[in-house]
Amino acid sequence: MKNSKSIASDEQIIQDLLPRKFKTSGRIWVSLLIAICLVGIYAYYRQLRYGLAVTNMRDYVSWGIYISNFVFFVAISLVGSLITAVFRLAGVKWGAPLTRIAEMIAVAAIIFASIIIIVDMGSPERFYNLFIYGRIQSPIIWDVIVITTYFFISILLLYYPLLPDIKILLRFKEKSGPGLHKFYSFLGSFWTGSHKQYLLSKKAIYALCVAIIPVAFTIHTVTSWLFATTYRPGWDSTNFGAYFIAGAFLVGAGSVVVAMYIFRTWYHLEKYITPDHFDKMGRVLVLLCLLYLYFNVNEFLTPFFKMKESEAGYLNDMFSGSFAPVFWFAIFTGILLPIIILLFKQGRKPLPMFIVGIMVVVGAWFKRYLIVTPTLLHPFMPMHDVPEMYHHYFPSWEEWAITSGSLAGAMLIITLLCRIFPIVPIQETINEHHETAK
Amino acid sequence: MKLLNKILFGSLSAIFLLSGYDGFSQAPDKGSLSVAINYFNDNNKIPYVLVRVKTKVNGKFKTVPGIPLKLFLNKDSAGLLIGKVVTNESGEATSFIPPSLKKEWSATIKHSFHASFMGNTKYDSTSADLTVGKAKILIDTVGRSVVATVLELKDTSWTPVKGVDVMLAVKRLGADLNINETATFATDSTGKASGDFKRDTIPGDLKGNITLVAKVVDNDQFGNLSIEKTVHWGSKFVSKANDFNERTLFATRAKAPVWLLFIALGIIIAVWTVLILLVQNILRIKKLGQEA
Amino acid sequence: MNKENNSRRDFLLTGLLAAGAGLGAVAGCHSKKDPFEAAADGTVKPSGKKVKLLSVDGEVIEVDEAFLKPVPHLPAITNSEARIGIPGKKFVMVIDLSRCKNLKKCQAACNHAHDLNPGENWIKVNPMQAAEHTAPYWEPTTCMHCDEPPCVKVCPVDATFKREDGIVLIDSDRCIGCRFCMAACPYSTRVFNWGAPEISEELASQPYSCETSIPQKKGTVGKCDFCADMTRMGMLPHCVSACPNGVFFYGDLNEDSVTNGAETFRFSDLMRDKGGYRLMEDLGTKPSVYYLPAVSRNFPFESGIENDKKQNK
Ligand code: SF4
Ligand code: SF4
Repeated sequence: MKNSKSIASDEQIIQDLLPRKFKTSGRIWVSLLIAICLVGIYAYYRQLRYGLAVTNMRDYVSWGIYISNFVFFVAISLVGSLITAVFRLAGVKWGAPLTRIAEMIAVAAIIFASIIIIVDMGSPERFYNLFIYGRIQSPIIWDVIVITTYFFISILLLYYPLLPDIKILLRFKEKSGPGLHKFYSFLGSFWTGSHKQYLLSKKAIYALCVAIIPVAFTIHTVTSWLFATTYRPGWDSTNFGAYFIAGAFLVGAGSVVVAMYIFRTWYHLEKYITPDHFDKMGRVLVLLCLLYLYFNVNEFLTPFFKMKESEAGYLNDMFSGSFAPVFWFAIFTGILLPIIILLFKQGRKPLPMFIVGIMVVVGAWFKRYLIVTPTLLHPFMPMHDVPEMYHHYFPSWEEWAITSGSLAGAMLIITLLCRIFPIVPIQETINEHHETAK
Repeated sequence: MKLLNKILFGSLSAIFLLSGYDGFSQAPDKGSLSVAINYFNDNNKIPYVLVRVKTKVNGKFKTVPGIPLKLFLNKDSAGLLIGKVVTNESGEATSFIPPSLKKEWSATIKHSFHASFMGNTKYDSTSADLTVGKAKILIDTVGRSVVATVLELKDTSWTPVKGVDVMLAVKRLGADLNINETATFATDSTGKASGDFKRDTIPGDLKGNITLVAKVVDNDQFGNLSIEKTVHWGSKFVSKANDFNERTLFATRAKAPVWLLFIALGIIIAVWTVLILLVQNILRIKKLGQEA
Repeated sequence: MNKENNSRRDFLLTGLLAAGAGLGAVAGCHSKKDPFEAAADGTVKPSGKKVKLLSVDGEVIEVDEAFLKPVPHLPAITNSEARIGIPGKKFVMVIDLSRCKNLKKCQAACNHAHDLNPGENWIKVNPMQAAEHTAPYWEPTTCMHCDEPPCVKVCPVDATFKREDGIVLIDSDRCIGCRFCMAACPYSTRVFNWGAPEISEELASQPYSCETSIPQKKGTVGKCDFCADMTRMGMLPHCVSACPNGVFFYGDLNEDSVTNGAETFRFSDLMRDKGGYRLMEDLGTKPSVYYLPAVSRNFPFESGIENDKKQNK
């Protein structure tokens, strides 16, 4: 009796969680993303043709929103390791339904992090030089190595837990259509779910969870070192690695909350992603906000207290100068307001959480912008004997288009992944269901 | 006949105009060049002539490249041609004295050089002259001072010249360093100019050798003369600790610091071994599945 | 290596002085070229073709053609040679701030010599003022050719490199345009070719040489190269010869002398007597460019202001 009921609900779970074809809204969404990507690609074509001159980066602001965006993507990608690995190792059970979302975000973000860094290169056709002439002394090479490694681990971490789900997916040939079915069987027709296989996979997932944490820390620390290994005021900080990682976990968690909410409403997964999940993610988020706030205080208060000549220009510009609106916007929307909202139980309900998530992500994007640009506008030597436009920076339409294109591209990847694979792991949910039923 | 002439003339001038002859427009604003001849004789061996061509643009002199010049010994005549030269990028050209002028060269104690430019579409023709007497310079050392002697050829004998300014220096990169604070030394009635060497411990080569030079620069009578001598007065060159060949963070890829290589390779190998094992693991799972 | 060179040099010198074979004698003529360097490090090789010339005494002598050019014709430098530099040298520059009145002749000469785009100056002349009540002065800056160059540390592909003679150069055929070096250089001396440089077809199709830094290429970085090609020929960098006030001095630290063309000083004397210093010593970059403070100035600061307005509105 009990057994039959659980079987029935197993089928129910499967039906609920199977990936679905896009409806009209889905199609519109995908075409919109593709359109944004195409504009980005056209802008990039222009950049290839005329060189980086189409951007508004010049000799002083030699890195612009491409690099900010790169840092942003790397930061977001860290969430994969947070939700999947840290939670799993720490025995946080409630995180299980979120792992797939987190991994998908991580893979999409890391792909676009590597794309955007190539976009930033002045001579991308010489990309292969990194491999034939690579110099281990350069932090860029460290970054190349670490990003490749992280990408690979993330793919594995997406793939292993997928295997049992693929077995389920293979059962629904008509539903998925011949093309996808072929793809599924290519990916995982060998999975029988035998005990031996299960053990092997379990061990592998555990190993991946252990491996991904140090690699995730490295990837973002190395990214921070791209800045911290220079002498520039505002970058020359020993705090930078930890500061970046704290920020990354925050924005990653924020993006997962956003994705959670969207998928939940869109696919009607209220049964699987419950208000309880939101409440718990809210607690995590507030903790991360506080941590990030701590690092921000650390990062800005001590230099502010000293007001060294070399740093004064940059600090004043941030606190009360031309960057002040962006700076305070990023601090308030990205850190302070979320803390206040999330401290209330009402604030941790799905909808407020969704809004907070968006605030955190948007605030984080601008925070990355502030990490790159103001510093470059305050070099040690005076900005002199250069054309007038070198003294300022505001991204050109090509830069905006490429940046939006990359953001749209990342979302497109996530959308396509969730079209192909179940967003909430089916097998794991069934297992959990059984356990609670017992 | 008259008509024919008219037609002929008319069509000719039409052709003239159509062919875009721009001689008219060019003619009035031709620039003028100034040519200067310099005579050099180093180590009393091979003499040569250097010409510099300049023009005035907006009140400032600018060197002119690509100007063809003919150089003559004594006067402008085909038999006395030294050579045809063209000025280089910095507006200079040099020529040695060819053996064909042996007779004329030895005949006199004074030489005149003549440079002439025929003129082209941009510049008017021009020419320049320079007369120098045959002279030589000797260098010697007495104790720690340097003595230079300037001699000129009078009739058939070399006689000392008084009152010539001589520069005494140590040869260095780019330009020469005076042997002491004085810029030039004038020769006395014996033709000698001497100065004390005050550049002690100036680095020489590995053995401490340095090259002294004595020079007469742009003298009205003798042009440019110079002579060198190597002495043992410098300090030995000790090659400073140069980290070019060391393993540093700013060396090339082949010279990465050992600690860095060690750490980096260690981490890469460790992580990728795990990853490769994990991929192998998939293959194992696959095999298990296919067996079943 | 050094030893060998120096003994070869001795040999050449004595050979020259004793026999006076004419070798190098001509080449050494108008102070532009140190022929012995060229001959000693093997950069000038006898061509085997003899030329007959008249000596000052009216005798006919035979001289190898290769040594006859006032600037000996040097074979093209390969990329790997350009990456090593001239052994036994350590090039330095001294900039005397008390003589500078912001004429920017150095800049113009540099831009012309390297065919730089307008506005993309390798040499910048900055108005500097340390504090409110200190006096302003003009400070020309080039690449400092740091001995521990942060730009070289961070380059991922060895496109910018430090040579044995102290010069830091760029290989534009290898640079991937990541601009990390620009972020790393505290002296903000690096310039990027954001678009295709405005140079003639002919120049642009020339093979790139690290020593001449010509031609500049789209999407790569550029900067002052201490005119490595000129130095190899024993000549002074363009900025040094272009400055009418003799602000720039250039030389070899191993020879302990620097010159601006007209005046030559012992480097150590200048440092001692005039209080030479380097910029941002605290960063530990160990620059090769030394500055002499703006004391007993030749010109008032104001004399340079008018000229500054052309570029800095
Ligand atoms: S001044 Fe800048 S570009 Fe030049 S060597 Fe130093 S760090 Fe590199
Ligand atoms: S821009 Fe070029 S020279 Fe500079 S670090 Fe990148 S690859 Fe090296």
